[in-house]
Amino acid sequence: MSYLEYNVKTVPSGWRKILYLNWPMVVLLSAIAGVGFLMLYSVAGGSFSPWAEPQMKRYVLGLTAMFVVALVPIWFWRNMAVLAYLGALGLLVLVEFFGTVGMGAQRWIDLGFMRLQPSEVMKIALVMILAAYYDWLPLRRTSHPFWVLLPVVLILLPTGLVLTQPDLGTALLLTFAGALMMFLAGVHWLYFAVVLGIGAGTIRMVFESRGTEWQLLKDYQFRRIDTFLDPSSDPLGAGYHITQAKIAMGSGGWTGKGFMQGTQSRLNFLPEKHTDFIFNTLAEEFGFIGGMSLLGLYILVLAFCLVSALANRDRFSSLLTLGVGLTFFLYFAVNMSMVMGLAPVVGVPLPLVSYGGSAMLVLMIAFGLVQSAHIHRPR
Amino acid sequence: MTRIPLRPLARILEARQKGENPDAIERENRRLRHEDMRDRARIRAEGRLLVLGVMFFCAFGLVGARMGILAASEAEEPRAQATGASIIATRADIVDRHGRVLAKNMETHSLYAHPHQMIEPERAAAELAQIFPDLSHERLLKDFTGKRTFVWVKRKLSPEQMQAVHDLGEPGLLFGPREMRLYPNGALAAHVLGGAGYGIEGVHSAEVVGRAGIERFFDEELRDPAREGAPLELALDLTVQAASERVLEAGMSLMNAKGAASVLMDAHTGEVISLVSLPDFDPNSRPAAPVAGSPGDSPLFNRAVQGVYELGSTFKIFAAAQAMDLGLVTSETVIDTRPPFRVGGHGIGEFENKNYGELSVADIIIKSSNRGTGRLALAIGTERQQAFLKRLGFFDPVPFEMVEAPGGKPLLPARWTDLSSVTISYGHGLSSSPLHLAAGYAAIANGGFAVKPTLLRQDAPQRGERVLGAESAKAAQRMLRAVVTRGTASMGDVPGYHVAGKTGTADKPRENGGGYYDDKVINTFAAMFPAHEPRYVLIVTLDEPVETSGEKPRRTAGWTAVPVAAEMIARIAPLLDLRPDYGPGLDAAPETMVLSSN
Repeated sequence: MSYLEYNVKTVPSGWRKILYLNWPMVVLLSAIAGVGFLMLYSVAGGSFSPWAEPQMKRYVLGLTAMFVVALVPIWFWRNMAVLAYLGALGLLVLVEFFGTVGMGAQRWIDLGFMRLQPSEVMKIALVMILAAYYDWLPLRRTSHPFWVLLPVVLILLPTGLVLTQPDLGTALLLTFAGALMMFLAGVHWLYFAVVLGIGAGTIRMVFESRGTEWQLLKDYQFRRIDTFLDPSSDPLGAGYHITQAKIAMGSGGWTGKGFMQGTQSRLNFLPEKHTDFIFNTLAEEFGFIGGMSLLGLYILVLAFCLVSALANRDRFSSLLTLGVGLTFFLYFAVNMSMVMGLAPVVGVPLPLVSYGGSAMLVLMIAFGLVQSAHIHRPR
Repeated sequence: MTRIPLRPLARILEARQKGENPDAIERENRRLRHEDMRDRARIRAEGRLLVLGVMFFCAFGLVGARMGILAASEAEEPRAQATGASIIATRADIVDRHGRVLAKNMETHSLYAHPHQMIEPERAAAELAQIFPDLSHERLLKDFTGKRTFVWVKRKLSPEQMQAVHDLGEPGLLFGPREMRLYPNGALAAHVLGGAGYGIEGVHSAEVVGRAGIERFFDEELRDPAREGAPLELALDLTVQAASERVLEAGMSLMNAKGAASVLMDAHTGEVISLVSLPDFDPNSRPAAPVAGSPGDSPLFNRAVQGVYELGSTFKIFAAAQAMDLGLVTSETVIDTRPPFRVGGHGIGEFENKNYGELSVADIIIKSSNRGTGRLALAIGTERQQAFLKRLGFFDPVPFEMVEAPGGKPLLPARWTDLSSVTISYGHGLSSSPLHLAAGYAAIANGGFAVKPTLLRQDAPQRGERVLGAESAKAAQRMLRAVVTRGTASMGDVPGYHVAGKTGTADKPRENGGGYYDDKVINTFAAMFPAHEPRYVLIVTLDEPVETSGEKPRRTAGWTAVPVAAEMIARIAPLLDLRPDYGPGLDAAPETMVLSSN
C-alpha cells in the first residue's frame, strides 16, 4: 500500500507528533552516543577536550536535526529522494575537484563550521532513492532485468566515485547496503547468486593482478589484506593496528581494567584510538562485558528498526527503515570485525561512538527519517 | 496456479439475470487478486527479512564469539610503535694493545616526561631537582605545568638515579632504554678516544655516534653490525698511557707550562704506544668547543697531533744525518762555526751569542750550534733538503687514524730560499706537530726506514721506504746519545736505559705577526731508547715552560723538557718490558768509530 492509499487524517499532526516518536529508539541512540562521550573523555586522558566536548555539541546538533526531520511527513522525504541522490552525487563529483586531502584520501569539503564528507551523505541518499524506487516500481516488475539494472547503476555510480577518492571502506559499505536493499525489495535470488559468483572471480583476479602492470588495487590496499591475513608478518608496520588492538582487547579480559585505566589507549600504543579504534579502548577498560553491552545496544536499535519496518504497511517507509538499519548494522559490524581482526582495516567508524562529525550527523538524520516513517505510518 | 478471470462469463450472466451490477464482481475479483499478490509479496519480504535476520545473527554471533576469545586470551605486554627505523645499538668496544677496555657501551635509560599524564607536576619538579642537582627547579616546573606534552628530562641516568625517580611513583615520568658510550678510565687517553654523543635520538633508543678522535674516525667500522662486537684493538698501552699522563701532568705544573704533549712511538712498527695532550678533558662528558680565546689553548685541542710548532734544535740531527748520508761529511769533519755567517743578508746567531769556534759535526749536535747546522744545510742544498724532509713526512699532515690529524698540516715557508734552508736546519721556519717529529726520529731510530704512525695494533715491523743509510742512522744515534752523556740533555740520562736524544728550544712567534717573543718558548726533547738498539721514540713538548729553581728563570729544553722526559722514561721503560742494562752500550763506541774511520 502506498501512502496515497491511506487516509492522511489518521496520522498525528502538529506538535502531537512528538508523542508518537519512537522514544525508546531515541533513548537507545543517546545511550550509544553517551558511551562514545565516555570513551572520548577517557582516551583524552580524562579531559573533555579535544574530543568529548565537540562530539557532544555535534550530538546535540544531530539530535535537533533528527527531530526536525522526524516531524516532516515521510511523503515529503519520498519526493525528495531523487533530489537528495542527485545532490549527494554532485557533492561527490565536487569533492573530486575541491576536496581536502586527509589521511591520503580526498574526502572532505570544508564548509567552515564542519568538514562534510559527501560519501557519508551518499549512504543515506542511496537508501532513500532505492526505497523510493521500489515503492514506485510495480511489484511484478521487480525482477525484470531492465528494472534490476537501473538500481544497480544507481548503486555503482556513487560507489565508483567513492572508490576514486580512494575510500574502499565506504565503497564496500555502499555496495553492500544497496545490494541488501535490493534483496529485501524482492529481486530474484538468482541475480545475487550470479553476482556473488562473479565477485568471487573478481577477487581472484585482483589477487592475480598483484605485481603486474594492470594491478587493480593500490599497494597499501594489498598490504592491508596481507596483514589482515597474517598480522604477525609485520607487527610494527601495517599489522601494528591490528596487533595492538588485539592486545588491548586481550588485556581488558572479562571485566576490563576500569574506567580510564586502559594503558594501550592512554599511553598512545593504539593508533586512531579516538576514531576507528575506539572500540578497543572500550574493550580494554570495560572488558568483554562492556563490549557486549555496546553490542547489545546496537542490536536493540536494529531490532526496533526491524519491528518498525514490519509494522509499517507503507512500502517506502518500510524499505527506508530497513535500509537505515542495514547501513547502521554494516557500520558497526565492519568496524568491530576490523578492530577484532576479523576483517581488514578499511577505515569505517564505529557509528555514534567514533569521533567524527559527518558520520554522526548523517546517521542522526537517517534516524530522523526512520522516526518520520514511524510517526507517519498508515494506521 | 489457476487464475480467476476478472469477469467470469457465467457469474456475470448470472448476476445480470439477478439484476445485480456485474461490475461488483469484477471489483471483488480485483480485490482478491490484489490481496493475493500482496500476501505473496509479504511472504517473500518476510522470507527475505528472515534471511537477513539470520545474517545479522551470524554476524553478531561471530563478533561476540571473537570478543569472548580475545577477552579470554592472555594479555601481552604492550608494545610501543617504533619511532622511525630501529637503531641497532652494537657499537664495538675499543681496547688497548693488551685487550683492556678503553671504551664500551652500556645499557642505560633516558628520562622523559608526559606532563599531561602527571598527577602532581609541582612535586615531581621539586623532587627531580633534588635528585639531579644540575637541573633547574624553575625550568622543570615551567615545563611540567606548561602546554608541552613531551619533555626530555635527562639523556642518561645512573641506576641509582633511575631507582630514585622510579620511587617518586609519578606516572608522567617515563624511562626509555638506550645505550651510552662509557669511558671507564675517565680522562685517560681522552684525545685519542675523542668521545661520542647521540645522533638520531628517540624515546626507545638512541644512536651513539663518534664525536672526535678515533671514535669518529672509525665510526662506520665501530657501528658495522658485521663486526659482531669484535673490539677495535689500539696500539695504545693503557698503563704506559696512564704513567705518561701522570708524569707529564706533574712536569707541566713543575715547569709552569700552560700545555704539554708527548708521543711515545715504537720506532719499528710505527705504533703509538701513548699519546698525551694536556690540558685534557673527560670524554664521558666532552665539553663544548670554546667560543672565545685561542682554540690552541682549549682542552679539546690535541697538541700532539693538531698543534704545529717550530720544534727548534731537534731538527739539527736531520741535517747532520743527511750530510753524512750524502757523504759530504763524517761525524769527525770539522766545521767552522765562527761568526760572521750571513745568509741572504741575515746574520745567523747562536744561543746566548756564544762562539764555539771550530767544531766536529758530532759536536755541532752535542753543543747545538746553529751556524754549524746552517753550513751543513748549505752544503746539502735546498732541493735535497726538501726531498729528505718530505720523505720523512714533514710536508704533509700525518696520515693518522684520527679525524684531527689533517688539522696538523705543517707550515712551510712560502718561498724556500737558502735562508729558509739554514733556519729550517735548526728548526725555525717550518712548523710541524710532535707526531711528525716522532715519525722523523723513528726513521733514525730504526736504522733508516720511514714509518707511518698508527694507532692500530701492528703485528709486524713496518718496512717503509729507506730514507737513510744504516751507517748514517747509526752515526746519528751515537751523536744523539752523546747529547745526553755530555751535551745539552745531560739531565736526560736514565740509568740502565741509555737514552739518546736532542733538545729543542724555540721562541714562540708573536700572534700578531712580526718576530718572536723573547720570554715564551716551546721546549721539546726528542728521545730514543735504549740508545744502542733504539726501540722507542719519545717526544716531550712543553708550552711556555719556565724553570724557576735557579737564580734567574731558565727556559731551555735541557732544564725543562729533558728532566720530564727522563722521569717519564724511568717510569715507562719497565712497563714496556725493557730490561735495564748497565753496560757501556754506545758510550764506548765513539772511540771505536774514530779508529775505524781513520
